[in-house]
Amino acid sequence: MPEIKIKHVVSCSTEDNTHKADNLLSSDTYRKWKAARPGEKQTSVILQLEKEEQVHSIDIGNEGSAFIEVLVGNSSAVRDQDYEVLLVMSSFMSPTESRNGTNMNRVRFFGPNQLQKSTAQEKWDRVKIVCSQPYSKNIAYGLAFVKFHSPPDKDDPPSTASPKLTKLGQFKMKDESPSSGPSLQPGSLFFSRDSATKSSPSLKVSPQSEKLSYAAAALQAGGTTHSPGQASSSTSASPQPPAKRKFEFSKERQSVPGPPPSKKISPAGSPEGKAATPKHKPSPASTPSPSAAKASLAQKSADKKRESQSKSGPKPKQQKAKSEGAQQVPFNRIMEGVVFVLSGFQNPFRGELREKALDMGAKYRPDWTPDSTHLICAFANTPKYSQVKSAGGIIVRKEWVMDCHKRKQKISYKQYLMDGAESSSESEMEVDDQSEEEMNTKTPQKQERQITPKKTLEKRKEDDDEYAGSTDVDEPGGDDESAVDTEDELQRVENENRQKKAAAEVKMVKEEDPYGGSTDENTDAEAEEDHPIPELPDFLSGKHFFLYGKFPNNERRLMLRYIIAFNGVIEDYMTEKVQFVVTSEGWHDSFEDALMENGNLNFVKPAWIYAINERQKMLPYQPYSVVP
Amino acid sequence: MSKRKAPQESLNEGITDFLVELANYEKNVNRAIHKYNAYRKAASTIAKYPNKIRNGEEAKKLDGVGAKIAEKIDEFLQTGKLRKLEKIRNDDTSSSINFLTRVTGIGPAAARKFFDEGVKTLEDLKKIEHKLNHHQQIGLKYFEEFEKRIPRAEMEKMETLILGELKEIDTEYIGTICGSYRRGAASSGDIDILLTHPDYTSQTEKQPKLLHAVVNHLESIGFVTDTLSKGDTKFMGVCQLQPSDEDEEEYLHRRIDIRLIPKDQYYCGVLYFTGSDIFNKNMRTHALEKGFTLNEYTIRPLGVTGMAGEPLLVDSERDIFEYIHYKYREPKDRSE
Repeated sequence: MPEIKIKHVVSCSTEDNTHKADNLLSSDTYRKWKAARPGEKQTSVILQLEKEEQVHSIDIGNEGSAFIEVLVGNSSAVRDQDYEVLLVMSSFMSPTESRNGTNMNRVRFFGPNQLQKSTAQEKWDRVKIVCSQPYSKNIAYGLAFVKFHSPPDKDDPPSTASPKLTKLGQFKMKDESPSSGPSLQPGSLFFSRDSATKSSPSLKVSPQSEKLSYAAAALQAGGTTHSPGQASSSTSASPQPPAKRKFEFSKERQSVPGPPPSKKISPAGSPEGKAATPKHKPSPASTPSPSAAKASLAQKSADKKRESQSKSGPKPKQQKAKSEGAQQVPFNRIMEGVVFVLSGFQNPFRGELREKALDMGAKYRPDWTPDSTHLICAFANTPKYSQVKSAGGIIVRKEWVMDCHKRKQKISYKQYLMDGAESSSESEMEVDDQSEEEMNTKTPQKQERQITPKKTLEKRKEDDDEYAGSTDVDEPGGDDESAVDTEDELQRVENENRQKKAAAEVKMVKEEDPYGGSTDENTDAEAEEDHPIPELPDFLSGKHFFLYGKFPNNERRLMLRYIIAFNGVIEDYMTEKVQFVVTSEGWHDSFEDALMENGNLNFVKPAWIYAINERQKMLPYQPYSVVP
Repeated sequence: MSKRKAPQESLNEGITDFLVELANYEKNVNRAIHKYNAYRKAASTIAKYPNKIRNGEEAKKLDGVGAKIAEKIDEFLQTGKLRKLEKIRNDDTSSSINFLTRVTGIGPAAARKFFDEGVKTLEDLKKIEHKLNHHQQIGLKYFEEFEKRIPRAEMEKMETLILGELKEIDTEYIGTICGSYRRGAASSGDIDILLTHPDYTSQTEKQPKLLHAVVNHLESIGFVTDTLSKGDTKFMGVCQLQPSDEDEEEYLHRRIDIRLIPKDQYYCGVLYFTGSDIFNKNMRTHALEKGFTLNEYTIRPLGVTGMAGEPLLVDSERDIFEYIHYKYREPKDRSE
């Protein structure tokens, strides 16, 4: 378990002249950080880590604080709100100890189980440590030391666990047998009030505490980070993210027992309205592009997707969520598989809400249990909210139940996720899984569909292999469709990332996603069975496009779809291959530079592509040029 | 929690009584728990007020008494009655529903349901006994007995008996009779026992055996006579003291609740179930001011983002007071 190096102290509330915050950077534990004056209600220090890291465990040596909390953030964030809790307020001294000034230097180790899961799975480069001591006005308190550890390497033998003697700065920890672990719980010292006169810093717990069987969840400090028990948990922690994803995965499946909706959705809400529906629905699927190139593209996108686990941006999620929008299910089975817990609701409304959910086939639990799937929460920061959040459960607003009930439809909970607190990477991860899952589950789904545009056949096969899905060749375009779909999603996201779109705007765009709506997938599928997918025209063959700047509403997506449908090639970046730059923002100064680089460039309005679509033939681009 | 709260005795009894009546009306008939709380809070501050209230203006200065309640107090002091209350009392619906909720097992929702079916009186209930669930049937069976309050002397007898029997089963059991009895009330509505055992903590598995052993034992000695419900951690039932000699009058059947609580959460539970509910609310408010969140299970410090921290170690009620800098109050002083 490598230690994460602390680069420097960013700031601290106050510091003592001799016990400066900088002391935390050195591993010598006799050099500590203390507040300037005794009796400060709260002190905090912000540390800069050497690089962005995932925090796997924390060791903290106390210096007179009653409670210590650890938050993490990024150096780009400045405000307090941007810090997220990694280790909840943890107790280091009891009120009595604080008043008597005993056991000032307790050391606690916090393993992965004690850190907030969602926070611990992300990388951070800043740490804020908040100490408080409300029980004594005479102690200038702070920290003796703090150490952060990143997740162990996979090939790291768990041998780190075996040493009997662990050196922690100046402290030497004698490891005890696992069974005596609980005796190391610092909290249990609170009980040894009779021995409270002991003024020496206590590293080991007084023997009498062994008898005390206190076991508050969080105080299960797990003895030492290096105990065998801990080690096993830490080695198992490296595959933690996959495990977690699996969890989400199965949950997802549970909550969506119906057929996974296809991505193929009519752009019902798009400017063209329904007119475009039948013609362009199959567009991405049957893109008449040179199959090999396409396949490699799709493959690439799949790879990319895997890599982009956490950084792929929120876009795909939304699209996915929306496409899952609503499904037709018998009323009493709408919420089948949902095991929910309520928080923050008062009767009689609470009762009504519960009735509604129960009527729809959900199961109710008064408290969060391992089999619970959803917490329906009135507002954030109820005790259950924090509990479920740390347990990694899904937290949704009451409207989910109300809307499902009102519309008598199964609606994805995703639109109702309790905002803010959900870590974005977590949800993204989830999304990625889902799209992957979808690709797999989709395979059998679509087998009934016919019409295999010949061009895509080869490609599809490759995709099948790619996802180890069914190799059934009869199955038309399903896989590659989703692949392409995901691909352009990805492209979109990448473009956006590149252009540093404001997150808020992204959100806005998402909300207006014309593909969102409540498209009835089933009807779609049926319709397709009856009406073979028409061949798509190749108007834009051999033309390379680059989408520049912002597009209002969801135009970007439409653009991508049309261009791909007409066999154009979308470039992720402004390369020399690009012939057409589509922009809805008018002339930009940078276009001149681009023209210098590549004289063949043409800047066009989205209207060109629309026009091609409307007329269903190739049109000259000149009338649609963007000029300075 | 007992179905009926002990009547308040104070200089302003008239006022507090009508406030409590209004409170119950809001809770049982309208199911407006916040109005119920508002009336109860006003009643509690007025009960503590050392002077006889002369007018609404005077009462309005008190915490929890606003314009509307002050108005009602004025009306009550001037006319000796309250039109709203008269109306409620004369209203068939609310008086019937209020009555039905006095049967254990029938809450506001069930009462409303029965009322809609035309059930209004005890006799009506007896006619539809087959429609009642087990709990409600027992409630009906012992209706008159459960209505009677338990004199403190009898509570003490039961306490001695129960705690003695606990030791018989396992010396490590810890039991506390909570509720108004613990606050020194002269009489109680029911008997509420909190039970724990060092083997049972929030980290261990649930141990229904620990609860069931106690219940079975109390049944075997004839103390527990009926079961309303029995779960892993909570038993609700009926108990009756056996006369110690022939001449003694037979004791009534009483409602008894036994809750098994993890050891580490025991004292938060004892604090909570000792009440009073208003005292609890005030204490929780104070805890929040000090940066802690307190519930019937745990006390946890709040972090800078408002996220609750780890549960703090609690080994006595005093610990909880100490954590939040609250002056320790003996149970008898918690009846605010």
